[in-house]
Amino acid sequence: MAEARLALEKPMEEGRPPFGATALRRLLRKRLAMVCLVVILVIYLAGILAPLVAPYGYNKQELDNAFAGPSLAHPLGTDRLGRDMLSRVIWASQTTVIISAAAIFTGGLVLGVGLGLLAGYAGGRVDNFIMRVADAFFALPDILLLLLITATVRPRVEALFDKFKSWPVAGGLVEAGAPDYFLVFGALALFGWVGIARLIRSQVLSLRESDYVLAARAMGVSLGRILARHLLPNVSNIIIVSVTFSLGAMAGTEIMLSWLGIGITYPHPSFGAMIAEGSDLSSLRAHPHLLLVPATVVALLLFAFNLLGDALNDVLSPRRR
Amino acid sequence: MRNLLLVLGGLAVAVAVVVGLVAVLVMSGGGGEEASQGTPTAQATGTPFAQPTGTPSATAGGELRLLGRDPLTFDPACASDVDSANYIVELFSGLVTIDRDLKIVPDIAESWETSPDGTVYTFHLRRGVLFHKGDRQVIADDVKYSLERALDPDTQSTVAEVYLGDIVGVKEFVAGSADEVTGIEVVDNYTLRITIDAAKPYFLAKLTYPTAFVVDRNQVEGSTCLSDTNWQRHPNATGPFKLKEWDLGQSIVLEPNKSYHLGPPLLGRVEYILGGGSAVTMYENDEIDVTGVGLNDIERVRDPAEPLNKEFQEAPRMDIWYIGFNVNTPPFDDPKVRQAFAHAVDKDKLIEVVLLDAVVEADGILPPGIPGFNENLQGLEFDPELARRLLAESKYGGPEGLPDIETASSGRGASVGPVSEAVLAMWEENLGVKVSVRQTEFATFLRDLRDGKFQMYELGWVADYPDPENFLKVNFYSGSRNNYTGYAGPELDRLLEQADTETDEATRLSLYQQAEQLIVNEALWIPLFHDKFSVLIKPYVKDYTLPPFVIPRLRYVHIEE
Amino acid sequence: MQGILPFVMRRLVWAPFVLLVVSLATFALGRFGPGDPVEILEGQYHNPEVVERIRHERGLDDPFFVQYGRYMWDVLHGDLGTSFTYMGVPVEDIIFDKMWVTIQYNLVALLIIFAIGIPAGIWAALRQGTWQDPLTIGVFLFLTSVPVLVTIPVLQFMFALKLGWLPSSGWVERDILGLKLGILDKRIIMPILALSLPGIAGVARLMRAQTLEVLDEDFVRTARAKGLREVVVISRHVARNALLPMTTIVGFALVGLLGGSLFVETLFGIPGIGQFTWKAVFNSDYDVIMAVTLITATAFIVANLVTDIVYGFIDPRVRLGGGGPRY
Repeated sequence: MAEARLALEKPMEEGRPPFGATALRRLLRKRLAMVCLVVILVIYLAGILAPLVAPYGYNKQELDNAFAGPSLAHPLGTDRLGRDMLSRVIWASQTTVIISAAAIFTGGLVLGVGLGLLAGYAGGRVDNFIMRVADAFFALPDILLLLLITATVRPRVEALFDKFKSWPVAGGLVEAGAPDYFLVFGALALFGWVGIARLIRSQVLSLRESDYVLAARAMGVSLGRILARHLLPNVSNIIIVSVTFSLGAMAGTEIMLSWLGIGITYPHPSFGAMIAEGSDLSSLRAHPHLLLVPATVVALLLFAFNLLGDALNDVLSPRRR
Repeated sequence: MRNLLLVLGGLAVAVAVVVGLVAVLVMSGGGGEEASQGTPTAQATGTPFAQPTGTPSATAGGELRLLGRDPLTFDPACASDVDSANYIVELFSGLVTIDRDLKIVPDIAESWETSPDGTVYTFHLRRGVLFHKGDRQVIADDVKYSLERALDPDTQSTVAEVYLGDIVGVKEFVAGSADEVTGIEVVDNYTLRITIDAAKPYFLAKLTYPTAFVVDRNQVEGSTCLSDTNWQRHPNATGPFKLKEWDLGQSIVLEPNKSYHLGPPLLGRVEYILGGGSAVTMYENDEIDVTGVGLNDIERVRDPAEPLNKEFQEAPRMDIWYIGFNVNTPPFDDPKVRQAFAHAVDKDKLIEVVLLDAVVEADGILPPGIPGFNENLQGLEFDPELARRLLAESKYGGPEGLPDIETASSGRGASVGPVSEAVLAMWEENLGVKVSVRQTEFATFLRDLRDGKFQMYELGWVADYPDPENFLKVNFYSGSRNNYTGYAGPELDRLLEQADTETDEATRLSLYQQAEQLIVNEALWIPLFHDKFSVLIKPYVKDYTLPPFVIPRLRYVHIEE
Repeated sequence: MQGILPFVMRRLVWAPFVLLVVSLATFALGRFGPGDPVEILEGQYHNPEVVERIRHERGLDDPFFVQYGRYMWDVLHGDLGTSFTYMGVPVEDIIFDKMWVTIQYNLVALLIIFAIGIPAGIWAALRQGTWQDPLTIGVFLFLTSVPVLVTIPVLQFMFALKLGWLPSSGWVERDILGLKLGILDKRIIMPILALSLPGIAGVARLMRAQTLEVLDEDFVRTARAKGLREVVVISRHVARNALLPMTTIVGFALVGLLGGSLFVETLFGIPGIGQFTWKAVFNSDYDVIMAVTLITATAFIVANLVTDIVYGFIDPRVRLGGGGPRY
């Protein structure tokens, strides 16, 4: 009995989509995907290490040096108030990193995977309910709703965070704009879990009836173990691809919210704000770099996410050529 | 399935045809007006730091196209902002008005006498002043009705008392203990007598402000500033222009009032485009005839080599753009804190670098050109060390002791404007204080301002008439509704009250100068700059006045073929 | 049609429920959000007695559900409240005109997205294996990546400023048969272009993926083996099977379009509902916000319902099984 149990508990290997080392090798062979990965990593690293890497603060102005062209001190020039464009980009990257990471973690992983697994495995009414809720969220125009939600909820969130102002560590975080970040990634998570949940659910639905799982259940293996050892590895590929695409989408949404003034607001750094400042036609004619610098970085980042996601999709799903 | 495909194929063909048709239509027709200020960095409605947009252009019987903003209201009793006032002065009129030479001249009243003690004005109304509908003439009753309606607490005007409060009986009327304003007396159909509480030389000027304009009782009865406002879409008024159409958020079209008693306007049509768009681009594309020039274009049009330079005009404005403090909320209840903030702003840099010298630096409240302007006024100079010292000496002990500070500005979108950003960065650098920004749309901004919700705020004040009383008493007198600082200083009040009734002009102006110096020393406001008109006007637009404050001026404009 | 009725019933039951939840949530956000509605009404008169009186007059001291009920009752009778942005103007006078504007150009964009995207996707699928394939995928991906608020200033710069081919902004309406149409003016070309580019790319990608899947199927091989001309194979067998799931996309495409409308309208100065909602939010104009949310949510839920039902008709697997393929 003991050997039989062990054998059956071995995670399925045949007929599984490529995993681990195989996948990595195939990915590495795709040069384009590698380039994208590098681009993303560079931007993310710059963002994470912003305090170390950025030569100036986001709002540090040098009024004597407004609209300076590229120079050693300011490789990407300066803006209307003499603020270093390179530093601004780096700090804005930090915002994007924080937001997308937080949103993916809560919305994508915790909510999305969790609810997807739950719906797929539990089936029946639970599944129905979760999917209806997902439908509802998917059906509504997100920007409009985000506009309404963030604008209305913001004062409550700010009031809530105010209570922590006097705390030692938390206080600093609140200063640094925690309410804004919380609001934005909360809002993103609210809408971001649907896609992943759906995908996971359909995968789990089919896996649920597979031999291994049936056998495991017959043998009384606990739910947790089934989820962790049998289901999860099989959906991990979906998760990876989904996360990649979602990271890009969430970054895009954050930029849009900040542009509207309801996301990350002044004085906290954001690409949305930079793009907004540079978009006026008269400004564009006189000082195109104000738009082009953040726009290029944003376009690169989002494009890289999408290309990478596409490549991962190719690599990780067995059926595609 | 086959059917589905056919349907879709057909749809595709249909779309192609439609697109082709559209293309043809579009290339052939299509000219016409454009106007939309699309960009988010363009300061939104009402921001003080925005450039004035557009000027109408018109041809004799011709058409003038301008950029404009949605007004907050067309009700003269309720108007407190420049955008609304700009339209109202063209649509409505009152007893007196201000002409192009900035003199007070007769309007509905064709003449008047003042009593020897200066408190009683007897107006003789013109005969034959028709309402736009042409159904009836204006009589003294209409004037009394309009004034009382403005003052009526039920109307909920926030400004009427400021401009009409000098009339005898207003206090009782507003408090509800009187049914009418006893100081306004209808002698007969064409004679109106107004008595004010003391001899105030600026009173007549106050009557040029919209709150004293005439409205049609039959139309507005029962409406207030907040409700039943539909009549404003087709007001029956007495001004030089009629409102032809107001497409919310899209356009406002005015047409001339041919029977205007001061002479019909020379224009055939005025269109304000409200949607927004890139102003100078539209001007260059011949979609509008006049435009304001923003910071991004000003250097280009100033260049003599640029063809647009010939169409570029500048003119001074009688206004002041400032940062105001609410002296009843911490930390601005301590004058040292306010002074510290004032000394921490490098205005020279601000105006030179950020505003490209398109404005004039302000040390005090009064703008150049106004009677009483004091060249020797001692402003609070940029001095970061002094600023830090003052902050340390204040009851808060320094930047760490300060509560959270938020400044309020009107607008929406990611950008709070270069001026705000520059000043905020200056405070952070010179004082070590981080100030955050709250942005709201203009209407909400004004409402919250009146409710005293802000610690500090960014705003502008444009003269209503060329008298220092309009700047100093209206905004700083303790009893004035418009005093958003909440400051109530006995010394200041005394100076202002004295100046009210001082008959010797020189002494009067000197009193105002003393008041101004006091206001500056107390740092109730940080005066930043006085604006300038910077506009491009098409060469075929003639007699387009650039007045220093809001006066009716469209009726003089004409277009040369 | 055996499975249809229960299928439709199931869908129908959920729709009003979702609506209820959405309306309740928005109403709650509004009433408990910032800004006391009474303050909005009574202006700056700070007499507490007056405040209480007005509050009572307007029923603002009634329990939450009573207020909600009253509001919904009014809505069902066509009274959507009054705006604060345009003081005192009834909400319905404002938003329906603006919605019409937004719907106009969005419909055109939607048509274009499918009219160009579908053939483009099929074409790309047929090019698989050639050098054109990765190129087109790249182009599609790029177009879906760049946010609308970046493409618009760039387009304006190119076509309006530099080339002067198109006006940079504006909305001009013409009266055609009693309808005010703004889409018959060259001004609308750039906005629709900016709005549809990501959509075209997205639809093309999906269409390509779908077509590839169908190309793999046995019946295609059969058709080819039978010697049918390639064109016939493609149009009759491949395309129509690949098109099936596209019907579900229409709804989502529209959602995406409307999301982008906000930026298009602001940057091009089009007086639509997206731009106005943004303004209303910054003005705390609650009646407008509630009305727009309710209407949009209703429209979408209905649209989705219709799409689902139509799809259920088309694909029998859906109504007999649990749910169709979803994207």
